[in-house]
Amino acid sequence: METVGFLLDGIFTSLQWFNLALLIFGCLIGLFVGAMPGLGSVNGVAILIPITFIIPPTAAIIFLAAVYYGAMYGGAISSVMLGIPGASTAVATVFDGRPLAVKGEAMTALTAAAVGSFVGGTVSVILFTLFAPPLAEVALRFNAPETFALMVMAFATFVGLGGDDVPKTIFSILIGLALSTIGLDLITGKPRLIFFNIPGFLHGINFLVLAIGIYGIGEMLWTLEETKGKVQMSKLSVNMKEVGRAFGALKKTIMAMNIGSFLGFFVGILPAAGATPASLMSYGITKQLSKNSKEFGDGVPAGVVAPECANNSASTGSMLPMLTLGIPGSPTTAILLGGMILWGLTPGPLLFTQEPEFVWGLIGSLYIANFFTLVLNIALIPAFLMVLRIPFAILAPVIFVLCVTGGYAPTQSLHDVWLMLLFGFAGYILRKLDYPVAPAVLSIVLGPLAEKALRQSLILSDGSMGIFFDVSEKPIAAVIMYIAIVLLIMPAFGPLYRRLLKKKQTA
Amino acid sequence: MSITNKITVKRAEIVVAVILALCSIALMIKSAENRITWNAEENMGAGFLPFYLSLGMLICTVLTIIKFVLKRSPQSKDDTPFIDAVAFKFIAVTIISLVVLVLAIGYLGIYFSLIFFLAFYLRYFSEKSIAFITIFAITTPILTFLFFEWMLKIPLPQGISEPLFYPVYDFMYGGFSFAVKMIFIILTIFLPTALVLLISKFIK
Amino acid sequence: MSIIKKLALVVVSLSLVAVSSVSSAKPFSPKKPVELIIPAGQGGGADEIARLVQGVIEKNDYASKPVIPINKSGGSGGEAMTYVKKKAGDEHTLIITLNNVLTTPVNQPELGIDFFNDFTPLARLITDTFLVWIATEGKNTAGVETFDDFIDLARGNGLVMGGTGSMSEDELLLGMMRGQFGFDAKYVPYSGGGAVAKGLVGGESDFTLNNPSEQMGFYQSGDSKALVMMTPERNPAFPEVPSSYELGYPDLEYYMMRAFMAPAGIDAEVEKYYTGLLHTVYHDDEFQTFNIDDGKLMSWLEGFGLKDFLAIEYAKHGEIIKNFN
Repeated sequence: METVGFLLDGIFTSLQWFNLALLIFGCLIGLFVGAMPGLGSVNGVAILIPITFIIPPTAAIIFLAAVYYGAMYGGAISSVMLGIPGASTAVATVFDGRPLAVKGEAMTALTAAAVGSFVGGTVSVILFTLFAPPLAEVALRFNAPETFALMVMAFATFVGLGGDDVPKTIFSILIGLALSTIGLDLITGKPRLIFFNIPGFLHGINFLVLAIGIYGIGEMLWTLEETKGKVQMSKLSVNMKEVGRAFGALKKTIMAMNIGSFLGFFVGILPAAGATPASLMSYGITKQLSKNSKEFGDGVPAGVVAPECANNSASTGSMLPMLTLGIPGSPTTAILLGGMILWGLTPGPLLFTQEPEFVWGLIGSLYIANFFTLVLNIALIPAFLMVLRIPFAILAPVIFVLCVTGGYAPTQSLHDVWLMLLFGFAGYILRKLDYPVAPAVLSIVLGPLAEKALRQSLILSDGSMGIFFDVSEKPIAAVIMYIAIVLLIMPAFGPLYRRLLKKKQTA
Repeated sequence: MSITNKITVKRAEIVVAVILALCSIALMIKSAENRITWNAEENMGAGFLPFYLSLGMLICTVLTIIKFVLKRSPQSKDDTPFIDAVAFKFIAVTIISLVVLVLAIGYLGIYFSLIFFLAFYLRYFSEKSIAFITIFAITTPILTFLFFEWMLKIPLPQGISEPLFYPVYDFMYGGFSFAVKMIFIILTIFLPTALVLLISKFIK
Repeated sequence: MSIIKKLALVVVSLSLVAVSSVSSAKPFSPKKPVELIIPAGQGGGADEIARLVQGVIEKNDYASKPVIPINKSGGSGGEAMTYVKKKAGDEHTLIITLNNVLTTPVNQPELGIDFFNDFTPLARLITDTFLVWIATEGKNTAGVETFDDFIDLARGNGLVMGGTGSMSEDELLLGMMRGQFGFDAKYVPYSGGGAVAKGLVGGESDFTLNNPSEQMGFYQSGDSKALVMMTPERNPAFPEVPSSYELGYPDLEYYMMRAFMAPAGIDAEVEKYYTGLLHTVYHDDEFQTFNIDDGKLMSWLEGFGLKDFLAIEYAKHGEIIKNFN
């Protein structure tokens, strides 16, 4: 129970007034940066690295943790209020968060996101404290074949997400995957699909470009058509009754919280997976297990809780491979890792024993940051809701400005802004013709991870797919793969099974 | 009969499906610039996955076209206009102004382009007063600048307007105290607003 | 020509003279934040140094405007190099190098990058070294104690090597070793040195050619060990690891250079300013301590010395690539 002592020390350290002030300031910056489309914790953390040369490392890491967590919450705000995922971790939050806001239940959506995030964060800190060292060993054994199996499982959980038109749904998945192959091929070192030799394609198509295009520009065009640019988006009132109702709605989301917290944490600790697949899988599995899975996508609180819970849980979990294996799961942790090295800390198996103050200080401050972001978030909900009161004619150009800057900022290239416009327009047309767009966004997020893991595995196995199914050689990979296959096949057999059941009953 | 009535959902469906099929073929050809084979001797080529993914896309579009011809999809029987005339105008104006905006960013820089974009867009879509629009169109780029360049240190494109920002940078990094900078920020936001309000009073 | 046009010409030329005289009177200093292009993603070795340089400059106020690191990782540095090439004459852009600036112009001729004319080399600050690493409990490398043991083992068996990406430094290095020692290995590309190091300790690969900082954590915990450092001398950060010269393989010498370049066509004044700035950073105590502790070699080089060095390295890499294919 030594670790608990360290953790408590860490928590008390972050409660010192100077650290606490930094923490709250960091949470606010994180919330704000996270809520801006295209910007995320990576931008917040990057500007702070130089500052951390001036303040002591402990204060610095508290600050950075606060920004990191604040941004995790912030991503949900833009997903709900603007319908644009602020970061890849908040993609799944759009699916139900946006419909809730459109229905006039933005309050419920934001409360669900905040409480879900808090629960996820809390559970993961507890799991981290109890099981970190043995889980580090699991993370170490989680290699390419296991990662690929996990990606297949992530896809499998999303079978039910498409529309009714099967060819159009598959087309959407495939185009997302195809777009994700643009750029340099890691395995052969050759540039792929560099159209017209434009250098902008060399960095590939960032998920944000597609997501901002489809959900930002496309959604605006869609609303413009529906409203003819004249109507206000929605009217709502903030009073105590609403608040009570919002919390009441959370009672039905306990299952989503459980799935999100535990799944999020376990996916989070796996190197190279991170919070994005965790939140997607959590959404998919919650939907499949839910009694009212048909309602998912039209705005149910559980559809917001599941991904938000998972991404916060996973972001604590992903500290584990970063600290013990030195592997950053995301650009943000990459910069954090850089910061650690600059402070003279060496990530590795010894970090837990050599620098316990640092490790547990980080985890402790993550926890405190989690708590304060929840408080700030609930307190700020009325302010966020103001967005919905802005007349559409004024909100629309502001969103376009956010889209343009958000498309530009991650890669600093106008090329991506053009692509974003193109995707926005194309997405709008395709959506009008019943092509589901969500599968394309999902596959562009997961595609690169899946391809890399697949091809690394195939090099190891000399091209044999058997590497994924060999229970004695790679038990983890095989088990995940078989589960994934069952998940994939289940929906196809579901109707068949029901039909059989009916026949039995009638017979 | 206007053009928007002629573009029915039915026609849009088949045109889009054919365009997507052509895009898939183009992707297949482009993928084939890299090795697309995968066999026992050689590992998966760089073009293998994109090639077969785009082949899959082609098959899906062909299925969509077949469904269309057999009149199996709801779109294939839908003779209503794809988009109504009013909405078409709005969307066309929006898209054209966005394209002009991005073109202008490359040349004029983002901050000045935004002023023109916002002024035009608000004038066209909202019934707000000129004074309001002017304030809005000037304040938004200033806030954008402060947020991106000052707070996040993310440089946005400035095009030919770059030299105009040198004095601003000199001030930002010129060793002034925090208070002076804050006063400056507040002034940059409120001065234009006050000015516009004053002028609009006089004109009225 | 009308009088107005003539007058305009006079005014323009006069103002040009005025501007140029003003600018030559004052020494150059940046007028806006300086973009520091990193031809790799966040978290790599180049990124680390770039952010260290940014931090050192900011903390000590070495420059009047901040340095802003921007990652352009596309196409093995191809994207970053094309970007800097297009910025010819721009006084507020710098690029930090990995060795991919030496290989990408050769590997991707369609980019049209002319390494010798598209950039103005400023200074080399650091060289990073490479070591041969194996896992302490590696199942295929059990019993390997020395580099010679390793070569014997590798000649007989097809070992798996983890690397940072196809045609990157470590795969070229593998190509070099293949020629020298007559063994081949299965190359598995990962993204980033951290993932490579983890793949080794996690048992997926049998050996790696990592930089010191990438394996430092596992080295300190005893999970991985180094067999040889590809340098003439031992490094104080790894006192028990022999150098390749000691073992009698002087051809096995390879470095990663961390140099800075500006776009082509900048004034001598500007070049002097940035070289001076980098020199100040180089001699900063914090910068020195950090890099030496990390096992890097402090190796300042500027001017003609740097140009010669780059020319030699460029030719050497061209040769390695030619032999590789």
